[in-house]
Amino acid sequence: MGDPRTPRAPFAPWDRRELPGKFDVEETARRVGNYKWIEMRLFEALGGWVATVPELDVKLRLGTHCYHHAWHAELWHKRLPELREMNQDRLTLPANDAVVTFMDAVTEPGDLEQTIEKLVGVYRVLIPHKIAAYTYHLNNTSSITDAPTMRSLRFAIADEIEDWRDGEMLLQSLLRDEGDVQRAATHQAKLETLIMKAGGITGPGSIGDAYDIGEGR
Amino acid sequence: MKKLLQPDELARDARFSRVDMAERFNDKRTVNRDVDGEPGISSRNQRRLSPDTPGASDAARSLMHGIFVGEIQALEGAGRTCWDFEVGAGEDKVPFELKLDMARQCWDESRHCEISIKLSEWMGTELGEFGESAFLFQAACNADPVLRLTGVNRALEGLAIDVFNTMREFGKVAGDPVLEFCEDWMLADEVTHVKMGSDWLRRLTEDNPERRERALEFQRVVDKLFSLGGARGENDDSPIKLARRFRELAGFTNEEVDEIAGLAKEAAEELAARQAS
Amino acid sequence: MAKVTVDPTEFHYVKFDADTIAQLVGEVADLVGLPADALININIDESTPLGRTVLTSTDPITLSIEGGAFENAKAPRELSERSVRDVASRLLFRVSDRLSGRFDDAPPEGEVPLPHNVAWDVHSVGRSARAGINVSKPRRLYHFRNRHGFNDVADAAFETLWNADQLSWAELDALVTEVAAAKTPA
Ligand SMILES: [Fe+2]
Ligand SMILES: [Fe+2]
Repeated sequence: MGDPRTPRAPFAPWDRRELPGKFDVEETARRVGNYKWIEMRLFEALGGWVATVPELDVKLRLGTHCYHHAWHAELWHKRLPELREMNQDRLTLPANDAVVTFMDAVTEPGDLEQTIEKLVGVYRVLIPHKIAAYTYHLNNTSSITDAPTMRSLRFAIADEIEDWRDGEMLLQSLLRDEGDVQRAATHQAKLETLIMKAGGITGPGSIGDAYDIGEGR
Repeated sequence: MKKLLQPDELARDARFSRVDMAERFNDKRTVNRDVDGEPGISSRNQRRLSPDTPGASDAARSLMHGIFVGEIQALEGAGRTCWDFEVGAGEDKVPFELKLDMARQCWDESRHCEISIKLSEWMGTELGEFGESAFLFQAACNADPVLRLTGVNRALEGLAIDVFNTMREFGKVAGDPVLEFCEDWMLADEVTHVKMGSDWLRRLTEDNPERRERALEFQRVVDKLFSLGGARGENDDSPIKLARRFRELAGFTNEEVDEIAGLAKEAAEELAARQAS
Repeated sequence: MAKVTVDPTEFHYVKFDADTIAQLVGEVADLVGLPADALININIDESTPLGRTVLTSTDPITLSIEGGAFENAKAPRELSERSVRDVASRLLFRVSDRLSGRFDDAPPEGEVPLPHNVAWDVHSVGRSARAGINVSKPRRLYHFRNRHGFNDVADAAFETLWNADQLSWAELDALVTEVAAAKTPA
């Protein structure tokens, strides 16, 4: 943690409604491609985990959430050609290698004793970072030129928040002693470090730069 | 997380117990089709479900529990297909849209599990009351995505259509509004799932008749296993009746349904021979 | 405790133990309140997985059981002690009813109509529950509804049957007649 007295912008980077249009078409397409890549990795892992989770309620929630993220991937897939990228595969990419390392770590737990690690990775690290990046995008893009992306972002954010609540509550109910809490915290710290190094799900600038105070402010 | 999970690796809580298929096949006890008895707990009743028979409700409970664990396995199978295969063009890869279909199926099967749990409660059945055989998931273990999809979405999901239709009829005759309602909705989803299987089989093997034949052969093997020793058939007194109309909606041709009926007959004869030996 | 004999004494198709069954049935007979000197024969057809159970005679008390009725639903061919207690208590309460004189008007076993059989079983299993035997009320209710209808009249009759300690055949018959009238034709 740096010096808390370091000056910050009075208007946070995600509160810039009066200055829309931060992204050009190319940058928007790049972000949308990153989103699709992340959503795919996520729905694949949730689908794969279903069979490895013994807790019946968790199993059924993962099966449900799997589809939510597949649908988001489909929305981004369909948006790419509208952003001048006719070959969707070319932009369906991770933002950088560190994002790959992060996602590998999120999807690594496979044993039936690892439900806590599985849920921590998705609901305490990945989904909060997705909500953050989607919100930043929503609040910074042009509400006139990029309305279609905003519409998809709103649908996705609504799902992410609902799913986050579901997953967080499942997780809270699974943490039954100090050891469990420690396990969850340790895993969260490990993943949080990885995504911090990646700069967020779309790389550095995923949620802007809160220390960019601009000139003369 | 590893790829290609085996049936004995499916995670369950302590309420559930796994029944070995070999144990079932080695069971030498026979079932007299002419006796109007209570079905016993082993779920191998050999008569059509009817509220007029003394053991109908226990038979329905047992069958419904079998459906419930089948739904869990169908969910797991669809989920694993999302995970096991990369997007791409090779024979070990799948189109992006196929994965989306599998994710959608995950959601549907999750709802089917939820429906089954509520229905179990309604029918007085405890979760895990009956043993679970993982033979349905076997179809979801194939490493070729086309064979897997054919085994799961055409054979397994096809069996689901037959069973749901049978149970819906039973609910109707018994005047059970909850059972009939639940089966009606699940049946609609299963028709969609079988159609997904039929459509993908056609699309992915369009230029590869040899692969299509391999997939259909795999389906025949699975369908024979799923004939449950002849419990599924076309006779009016078959415990599980082939649902011709719904199968046609789901992309089966008449000849294909005929073929499954033939396999069911063979399975019945083989079971009788095994029990006689 | 009642004297219980189990036939066969050894099992080949299933993994049952005759002594265990005899012990369990003896304990249940005490809970039901049968005389300590009662003789009970249990004839088991182990060659079928079906689960029909019949009270063949009250003198001597003879229960004919298809193996599936005692089987553990979670583990094929294994004995379920819970099922043995469940089945034995249901049939032995019927024995006790028949010996009480309250059911002298009832048709002989084998001729009791299915709706009456189902109702009588509810009356027996309700008493089993109160005797401390681990039976499932929801399972019985579903069985009863399948036979007598999914409606409030049937549910009320079920509660009466379940909670009563000493019904007579005439009372049971009246309840069956009442629910039959309420059942909409299937
Ligand atoms: Fe299903
Ligand atoms: Fe299905």
